[in-house]
Amino acid sequence: MPGVVEIPTLQELNVEEVNVSSSVLKAAAHHYGSQCDKPNKEFMLCRWEEKDPRKCMKEGTKVNECAVNFFRQIKGNCAESFTEYWTCLDYSNLAELRQCRKQQKAFDSCVLEKLGWERPDLGDLSKVTKVATSRPVPENPYHSRPRPEPNPPIEAELQPSKHGSRLFFWNW
Amino acid sequence: MAASKVKQDMPPPGGYGPVDYRRNLPRRGLSGYSMFGIGVGILVFGYWRLFRWNRERRRLQIEELEARIALLPLLQAEQDRRTLRMLRENLEEEAVIMKDVPGWKVGEKAFHTDRWVPPVTEELFNLRPREEMLQKKFGFQWYV
Repeated sequence: MPGVVEIPTLQELNVEEVNVSSSVLKAAAHHYGSQCDKPNKEFMLCRWEEKDPRKCMKEGTKVNECAVNFFRQIKGNCAESFTEYWTCLDYSNLAELRQCRKQQKAFDSCVLEKLGWERPDLGDLSKVTKVATSRPVPENPYHSRPRPEPNPPIEAELQPSKHGSRLFFWNW
Repeated sequence: MAASKVKQDMPPPGGYGPVDYRRNLPRRGLSGYSMFGIGVGILVFGYWRLFRWNRERRRLQIEELEARIALLPLLQAEQDRRTLRMLRENLEEEAVIMKDVPGWKVGEKAFHTDRWVPPVTEELFNLRPREEMLQKKFGFQWYV
């Protein structure tokens, strides 16, 4: 069906972005994963079920809101220890978490006492969770054409074939 | 001959003492079995340390992967928005470029389906400098 591809306008795509570099994101990743869990999981569920980014713009906006809020809270409360942590991570090319355990401990204790956030244990973020949404499950997300009907059942009596099997040269 | 009064290097009076000329091959050191056992013990100790360190590395790797898992929704949302923004800009450019061509429908679908077709990189970056497309295609590669 030829038509026009609908693309959201630039106005709708204008969302408050998190202006932050990769080591900052990695430093805060574990706490971000446990705090902003709900909108993140909803967005991923929407994306994977609908298989269409245009249908998940609202959830994407919520993800960004949560992220911006999260970083605002950190900046308001634990700015110095967080800065030390992510500058330590930024020092190496690979940003290995194990090189910066001291700063991580300082940051974790600061966040725990000021905001009450606990760092999730190993393996908690990779657990499979069930997400409760109000969005209904989309049917036919691939927009496939209606499938053809199955063959009607054979009504007559089935006889063995005359002259044996027609497969190559066997005659039984 | 005046031999007795010249200073010569003579043996000490009474001759030299007894010289020990017998073979000196003492039986010492560990036996073969114990040396073998020590070697095997060192090996086993090394393996044990290795396995422990590998488990620790696995835990560290899981931690790094979990950091990536936690950040994926944010990165995916940003990537979606970026793609849609580029498509929108391309659409508006297309409307400008093809406004005098008769029978051209701006933003027409290329396929007969309603589903979302992810745009091809070449088409997305068509109106931008070639470096941006190469960065998108090969930017993550660390080796050649």
